[in-house]
Amino acid sequence: MRQLKLLALAFAVVLGCHCVEAQAPAKTSGDIDNGKHLFASAGCATCHGAKAEGTNLAPAIAPPPVDLPGLIAYARKPTGKMPPVPIGTADDQQIGDIYAFLKSIAPASSSAVESLKGDPENGKKLFAAYGCYECHGRQGAGAAIAPRVGPPALSLAGVVRYVRAPTGQMPPYTAKVVSDQDLADIYAYLKSFPAPQPASTIPLLNQQRAPRPAESSFFFACSELVPQYSGSVRRRA
Amino acid sequence: MRNPKKDSVNRREFLRTAAAGTAALVVPPVTTRAAQPAKPHIAGAPPLLKAVAPDGNPSVEILTVDRPGSDFMVDVLKSLDFEYLCANPGNSFRSLHESLINYGKNQSPEFITCCHEESSVAMGHGYAKIEGKPLLVCVHGTVGLQHASMAIYDAFCDRVPVYIILGNFSDAALRFGQVDWTHSAQDPAAMIRDYVKWDDNAVSLEAFAESAVRAYKIATTPPMMPVALVAGHELQENPAPDGANLAVPKLSTISPPVGDSAAVAEAARMLVAAENPVLITDRVARTAAGLAGMIELAETLQAPVIDRNGRMNFPTRHPLNMTERAGATIAGADVIAGLELTDFWSAVNSVRGQVYPETRPVTKPGTKLISVTANDLFAKSNYQDFQRYQPVDLAIAADAEATLPSLIEAVKRQLTDDRKRAFADRGAKIAAAHQQVMQAQRDAATSGWDASPISTARLSMELWAQIKNEDWSFVSNCQFVSRWPLRLWDFKKHYQYIGAEGGYGVGYGAPASVGAALANRKHGRLTVSIQNDGDLMFAPGVLWTAAHSRIPILILMHNNRAYHQELMQIQIMANQHQRGIERASIGNVLTDPAIDYAKLAQSMGVHGEGPISDPKDLAPAIRRAIEVVKTGSPALVDVLTQPR
Repeated sequence: MRQLKLLALAFAVVLGCHCVEAQAPAKTSGDIDNGKHLFASAGCATCHGAKAEGTNLAPAIAPPPVDLPGLIAYARKPTGKMPPVPIGTADDQQIGDIYAFLKSIAPASSSAVESLKGDPENGKKLFAAYGCYECHGRQGAGAAIAPRVGPPALSLAGVVRYVRAPTGQMPPYTAKVVSDQDLADIYAYLKSFPAPQPASTIPLLNQQRAPRPAESSFFFACSELVPQYSGSVRRRA
Repeated sequence: MRNPKKDSVNRREFLRTAAAGTAALVVPPVTTRAAQPAKPHIAGAPPLLKAVAPDGNPSVEILTVDRPGSDFMVDVLKSLDFEYLCANPGNSFRSLHESLINYGKNQSPEFITCCHEESSVAMGHGYAKIEGKPLLVCVHGTVGLQHASMAIYDAFCDRVPVYIILGNFSDAALRFGQVDWTHSAQDPAAMIRDYVKWDDNAVSLEAFAESAVRAYKIATTPPMMPVALVAGHELQENPAPDGANLAVPKLSTISPPVGDSAAVAEAARMLVAAENPVLITDRVARTAAGLAGMIELAETLQAPVIDRNGRMNFPTRHPLNMTERAGATIAGADVIAGLELTDFWSAVNSVRGQVYPETRPVTKPGTKLISVTANDLFAKSNYQDFQRYQPVDLAIAADAEATLPSLIEAVKRQLTDDRKRAFADRGAKIAAAHQQVMQAQRDAATSGWDASPISTARLSMELWAQIKNEDWSFVSNCQFVSRWPLRLWDFKKHYQYIGAEGGYGVGYGAPASVGAALANRKHGRLTVSIQNDGDLMFAPGVLWTAAHSRIPILILMHNNRAYHQELMQIQIMANQHQRGIERASIGNVLTDPAIDYAKLAQSMGVHGEGPISDPKDLAPAIRRAIEVVKTGSPALVDVLTQPR
């Protein structure tokens, strides 16, 4: 049985975008049983729940809010606090098995949301008016308290599902206050942003760069979704 | 001066009966004392001497005092080696003020004029975290203390010593008029007793001397906290009694409490035996020795360190620093040592929830917990800064910095070759993970790199580029700029970061930064801060203090034009209540008109530039400001920023 040293699929930042490509071609099918085993043994269930229903540490990810290449890319380079999963630790097929397991739990229903056409100009207005910018930044670039959402990694249906019932600190945006069409417009606005440039191309981010790491894999198996600075949320600034 | 004298008649009446210290008022003290009618005095107060002229006329007015009690107070305070006195002037301590600047020659302490008592205390707060000792603060015991109280609470929660003298018109018979009555209290320190470590209301100079030295000793013994000492107006202004035995007690050398040797040995045994020990720090390193001790302990164990940054406890780029992957590291631990950890519970538990909080442990079952904290030695009841109770397996009630040497030695004594090999393997893995984390921070910083308003990552790195080759000290809380400096800069000296407010009281940032800069000045360090806009507006007069007192500091505004934390909180409420989500800004934003911080700074004699919204303009502005700072003056650059 293949073993994962680490796979903490803690999508606290489930709206975050991925800006890297998958390391290997993603298969469209996977071994559900192996995926189920890996989901439990690798610690994914610790944060996401045994059936990926979400816990106070991490959101529900069944059905998966991204396609398989998106999931692999996110696992390789998550935008939030989730530890990255190096290819040497979990190969793409193993993630594919988990993906298959997640799909088997709650198959994605066909959603009318996906057919909605978004208006990015209106989305820009709504992004400000509805307070999205407060945590995600005015261009959706994210911050320590919220992930980058411009451009989004998720499908529109995944975004809608998450904002209706978020499992992190994000407040719920119910259908009573934000329509699906509004969300489609915001989604279109966020899609208009390019992926960030690589850090290696920005000199200011390469000042006194630390030495190269020793060859090793990250060995802690768990979630990063711990509020390190929980006392800060009541302050003004 | 908030209390101009209005009642000269009362002044005259007072002087007629005031204590006389001059030779001109020669009346044998004993005889006079014996003749003194029984007047209602505070117990132990020096008896008032009725003024009697040489010709025996008792109505002669006494106009001068040769050696006021406040001179002796200055003798006492000088023995405590205060460098500075931060104060907004107040007539309830006017005699002490005058004695300090004339009798004491305005040296040790030197008077620093503050525009708000909150600024006075917060300056002391920031100063102490850099210098390692308190400065002196004087406030009115009533209105001044009311202004100062939030800053005192911040210092209390942050375990920082601030030495506060409260002026008061204790003897009602000697109050001049309406204002003195209004500015008097039976028990001035009652208002802050819940959040100072100790206070006293001495009613004689002898007692003042003892209490003053005792207060200093208490304030600077871990856990350190503010102290308050009432200085009665009459005690200050009356002459020192003839024949009084006025001596300044010696200040003892203070040895902080060190952990019990058996408990320390047990902690060492647990850490050495652990497969994945984790060290969590918060307010450990008060000094360079504390930082060095943390490095030695971590390297001896090859254990990861999670720094919650109440102080500069561990170098940010040390291979064992896993602060930015705290959750994973803590969840993988089998033994966790919390060192001066303010909130152990939140380190090992998580909280979330939209309406009701849900909690769950982060640690795996069976993880052993060790705490070393001086907070176990002192607690108060009313204010709840002691945080949620966290059961631990071994609680060592001691100062962590002082305990580090013995803990390190105990760990070394228990090392075997096998454990050393295991530690080396563990350290290599942590080092690799650390590099991954560092790269992840750089990757994350790229988001919105060229955005306008300017991203807080860009703001931080533009600043770092200009100071990285200086002997710098970053003295502001960087929580509200997504902690980018701590995530990306190379912090490695104990004075390069001083933590946050302690009590999360806003208004701390600007004055504490200026106080820290005051401490840094004589060391020649380049002091920099990233200043939140809302925080500055609580008491912006501290900019004038910085200019007036030639305190060099570079202030970079994080101007998101909002009380942004509250804006997000109201957004959460609006979403939960489903009554509309577009009006959360009401009451939470600082717009219409936008505040021009450059002009605000300029109006108080501080170099000011901005607002800057194009990231390309930032570096030249910072360079210009640093040139000003290097001349010994403060400078402010206003930067329009992303919310976080």
